[in-house]
Order: sequence, then C-alpha cells, then structure tokens
Amino acid sequence: MKFIVHRIEDWDLLAKQLVSRLPPNAILTLSGPLGAGKTTLVQAISRALGATENPRSPTFSLVRSYKLPNTSPFSTLVHVDAYRLENEADAMTLGLDELSAEDGSLLVVEWPERLGSTLHAMRKPIVQLTISQDAGSEVRRVEVTE
Amino acid sequence: MKGMRILGIETSCDETAISILNVSGKSVKVEQNLVSSQIPIHQKYGGVVPEVAARSHVPETVALITEVLGKKGLKAFDAIAVTNGPGLATALRVGIEAGRVLAMLSGKPIIGVNHLEGHLASAWLNADNRKRWKYPLLALVVSGGHTELVLMKDACKYKIVGQTRDDAAGEAFDKSAKLMGLPYPGGPQIAKLALEGDPAGFDLPRPMLNDGSLDFSFSGLKTAVRQTWEPWMKGPEERKDKAKRDLAASLQQAIVDVLAAKTLTAAKKYKVKGVLLVGGVSANVMLRERLESDLKRELPSVPFLPSDKLFVTDNAAMIAAAGAWRLAKGEKHDWKKIEAKPEWNL
Repeated sequence: MKFIVHRIEDWDLLAKQLVSRLPPNAILTLSGPLGAGKTTLVQAISRALGATENPRSPTFSLVRSYKLPNTSPFSTLVHVDAYRLENEADAMTLGLDELSAEDGSLLVVEWPERLGSTLHAMRKPIVQLTISQDAGSEVRRVEVTE
Repeated sequence: MKGMRILGIETSCDETAISILNVSGKSVKVEQNLVSSQIPIHQKYGGVVPEVAARSHVPETVALITEVLGKKGLKAFDAIAVTNGPGLATALRVGIEAGRVLAMLSGKPIIGVNHLEGHLASAWLNADNRKRWKYPLLALVVSGGHTELVLMKDACKYKIVGQTRDDAAGEAFDKSAKLMGLPYPGGPQIAKLALEGDPAGFDLPRPMLNDGSLDFSFSGLKTAVRQTWEPWMKGPEERKDKAKRDLAASLQQAIVDVLAAKTLTAAKKYKVKGVLLVGGVSANVMLRERLESDLKRELPSVPFLPSDKLFVTDNAAMIAAAGAWRLAKGEKHDWKKIEAKPEWNL
C-alpha cells in the first residue's frame, strides 16, 4: 500500500485507511528520518481510533499509553519511541510484553530498528510503515508492508 | 527544633537519584544529593562494571541508597518520598520497591510523589525563592520530556493551563542539534553556538505564538530546521560554520520567544504572585535572562523564581521537597499499596 501526503490533512485520510486494515493485537512500526511526521501520524491514528487525548512525543518518556473508547477496534494505543535506546538490552526495560499483554492493544513503535529482534520475538502481526521525503520537498511518501 | 529528614528516591526515567533533605521550620537543607549519571561508573559499582541496561536502575539504586544512609542506616531519615509517576513502569517500580522495603523495615512514613510536582518543588529549594513564595504561582516546566505551564493555585493544588501538543522544548533543541550534526546533548551545544550567531540569521517559525491559547508546538520547528539546514550541508566549510552558528541562534531565539510570550500571557491572565522556571531547559541562560527581563518590564511586582541550576535536571532533592509539602499536609501512603502510575497527570 502506498500513499502520498501533500498536506497535513492527508495524514487523517491515511490513518483512517490504515487502522481499518490493522489486524487485532497488531504492532505498527514507523520508520523515517527526524521530522518526517511520525508523531504527526500517530496523532492522526489516535483521532481515527476516537481517542480523546492528543498523543505527544514519547521520545523522552519512551512510552505513552492512551485509553481508547469502546467503539474503537483496539482497547489501548501504546506509543513507543526507541529513538533514545542504545542497545537491545535497553529494550528490555521498556516492558513491552507487559504493555501489550492486554488483549486488543495497538502498539505503535517509532525507530523500530533500534529494538533489534525484540518485536519479532513478541510473535504478533507486524505492519511496517516507512515515511520518506525528497530533499527540498514538503511531500511525504508513505509505504506500508504487512 | 529537630528537623525532619526526608529520603528522596527518583527512578522515573533515565536517572537514578537519591537525596536527603532536612526540613526544619523555615530552614530547608539538602544534606545529600546523588545523581547516578554524575558519578563515575567504577565508583558506583565498586570497580566492577556490570553489563546492565541503561534504565535497569537496580544496581544504581542499591549503591546510592547504601552511600546516602551510611553508618546511620535506617536512622538516617524520618520519612521517605518516592516518585511513583509519571514515567516508565519498569523504572518507577525499582524506586518504589526500594522505598517500600525501607518503609516496612523502618516503620517510617512513605509518600508517593508526582515527578512534575517534584520539578515545581525544585524552585522551593532556593531560600530566596521561599521568602517570596506566595500563591497563586505560575510555573514554566521545560525539559526534554516536558513543556507545561502549571498554575499553582495553592499548596499542592495545580492546574495545567498550557502544554506542548507534540514535542517538548528540550526535544526541539536536542533533535535540531542532531539534524545539524552536533553531539548529544544538543541543548547546551545549541546555546554555545548561539553565542556567536545571529538570532535573525534564519527566519524560523514561532509556532502557535499568536493563536490565543497557552499551548505549545515544537514539532514543526524541527522540520523547519531540517529544511533550512539541508542546502548548507554540502556547502564550503567556512560558510557552513557561520550558517550553523546563525541557525543555532535563530532556533534558540524562536524557542525562547514562544516560551517567554506564553508564560507572560499566562502570568497576566491568572494574576499570579510569582513565576517559577524549572526543568532541564531552564539551565538555558537566554531563557532565564529573557523571562526575568520580560517580567521586570511588564509585571514588575511579580518575582521571578527559577530553580538553582543544581536542581534543574532530574534529582531526588526535589522529590523529597515535594514529599515535604505533602507530609506537611498530613498525607502519607500505606507502603503496601503504593504503586507505579506511568500515566499520572499532575
């Protein structure tokens, strides 16, 4: 699945299509350089899922969780940012198993590359999303692989 | 009068910190203040460097508590204050379990403290600030993880009146620095380069400056820095260096402009009797000077109450101080029931 994001509103359209295709208990990984729009996309995803709270960057806190309404296909949105992690042992301290233990949680992970094999070891369906941008252009290209 | 010695424990995120604060009438004294990252590794682990994850906190907590209690052991403190949220659950639990064990063994009271309240209390550790401490107060909390305007209506009564909608101010500094190829931590690097740069060199946005809200948004600034810097990356070294200094100065100016303007607006709106500046980014000299001079000019009767630089980053003295506030109100927790609250809002 491929998208082109021209304006900020396009993230909402993308998020709506994306969440309707996510399997239960999914892990969604977001890759792309600093400033690509990863946290902006997570905000759009949370809107698409009907969350009342606006997700803020979890870079410093590493993890932020948001309760989702009953109308949503997921119970909790768990937003993880591995940007500041230094090694795979660090990933242990995130407590990802516990965070995703609740049935129906959606784990969204920024900078998944820094978690090594941790996510695969969780044996959940992983959907990978990559955001890229041409130099000097505002347009974002988004590619989703399942 | 014998003071109350409060053992502070902080393990909510990156830092392991242990402190003893002595509160006696109007006197408040930080007797011990250890922060793990500021102690050489061999000293912490007694020569053997174990292989541990950055946020395991366990060996650090044990080492620092042992050091702080010394020969007095459980007699070194009269009460315990421990951060129990917000933060990383696995990290918070290390400090909480340590606090629970000490409370159980010593029979002394324990109080769970909100990390953000700890930051507010960091300004109270300064004696001059305490003399001018009159509610309502306004606090600008700025760090790598926080950008919040907190209205302190009365002792332990808070309302968040403004906050970032995406990135924290400290994050904007750090990530912009990274985009410009500067070493970590980026904030101090930007401030240093900015000294020799032109703050009007690049036209960066002032996000949400005039939107009428007290909220912030710094995520777009990061993108603007990336787009501004990209064409310079392959340029000749000498011009590149000047551009880097100018961009650092322009970025700092943009962040400080927004922080100062919103803080002043909030101070006027809520007619506060003092303005606190706390959190890691409050070490930024330009932000301190700007907020102080803006206040002097526009609200001359409102004192500026920044925390000492020693206590701006995560520490346990501020946790003990917030604990002192709560204990003074007669609050305490049952050690059996105290638990981690990773998403605890102030």
